[in-house]
Amino acid sequence: MVQLTLPKNSRVGKGKTWPKPQGATNLRQFRIYRYSPEEGGNPRWDLYWVDMDKAGTMILDVLLYIKNNVDPTLAFRRSCREGVCGSCSMNIAGSNTIACTKGFDELPGGVISISPLPHLPVVKDLIPDLTNFYAQHAYVQPFLKTVTPNPEKEWKQSEEDRNELNGLYECILCACCSTSCPSYWWNGDKYLGPAALLQAYRWLIDSRDEATGERLDDLEDPFKLYRCHTIMNCAQVCPKGLNPAKAIAKIKHMMVERVS
Amino acid sequence: MSGTNRADPRPLSPHLQIWRPHATMFASITHRITGMGLYFGTFLIAAWLIALATGPEAYAQAEAVISGVPAQVILFVWTVAVLFHFAGGIRFLLWDGPHAGFKPKTASAVSVFLYVFAVLGSVAIWAAVLWL
Repeated sequence: MVQLTLPKNSRVGKGKTWPKPQGATNLRQFRIYRYSPEEGGNPRWDLYWVDMDKAGTMILDVLLYIKNNVDPTLAFRRSCREGVCGSCSMNIAGSNTIACTKGFDELPGGVISISPLPHLPVVKDLIPDLTNFYAQHAYVQPFLKTVTPNPEKEWKQSEEDRNELNGLYECILCACCSTSCPSYWWNGDKYLGPAALLQAYRWLIDSRDEATGERLDDLEDPFKLYRCHTIMNCAQVCPKGLNPAKAIAKIKHMMVERVS
Repeated sequence: MSGTNRADPRPLSPHLQIWRPHATMFASITHRITGMGLYFGTFLIAAWLIALATGPEAYAQAEAVISGVPAQVILFVWTVAVLFHFAGGIRFLLWDGPHAGFKPKTASAVSVFLYVFAVLGSVAIWAAVLWL
């Protein structure tokens, strides 16, 4: 359902302004979303000053700087710090991206806001609950399905067929795209969202896969696929430069083609 | 989603409140709004046709309303909506047929073009109608 405003318990209040670090000359201010299930109450915006000479070059470095030097209670996910694992996805300056590959120099001036991925239940601070997102990924059965007996060695594929998977297999499931999509905000329980659909297409066009018909059947209803209205937020934000909107258009095309 | 479910005490993370909109997002919502506007506009066309069929007196009355300033403003906005929705519809054909125009930068540029086309096109049509 479309709900333009946040529910009462989710409205973000004014938080704490943390002290400036001593002796820093190159300071920048960050506004970070805070919510603690232990404390309860409404979430709040905390303001932090960061010494940019000591904080490294990426937004993840800023978060680590805050956690190490200012406020150890700040919670966020991170792992590989090089854009491979997709853990540190969040909303930075109004757009979803992964913090580890977003440099300061790419950001607008002024105070930078950092909040969890949009329109999800918040577990703590910058950590949203992605249970539904993962369930949707599982729903598209992202693995090879065959009926013919297994070959002696591997399933072979021509170079051209393999090239079809470029721009699809690189997805790291960071959920930036799905949580950027207004259609997914309003119908996230019924619409699969760009990430799951990109993966669905990755298996639909895999020349080795033999379940194309069943895969299309699984997407055939008014919501799962067709809630995509080509708003294009997914492609605009993808930190890996992939294009879920295009993949979804191609699935729609396959739906039409199998009928005609 | 859980945030809208009363049983779940966890807050829903901010969405529209923090989002920095893209040109494609604006064009998408405008396409929907103009589409709805055109849907309701069809009733006005029907009213005009009914007046035409009813007889000369009814038609003269309808003409009097149409030549008034509010109706002229509505007609101009209608022209903009028709052109926007028309061009947007062609873009949907290009998206869904040859899958063209999906690069984010191209899509953003085309979105801006849709607005420029709709407004300048309407001005051109009205200028042509008023002067010729």
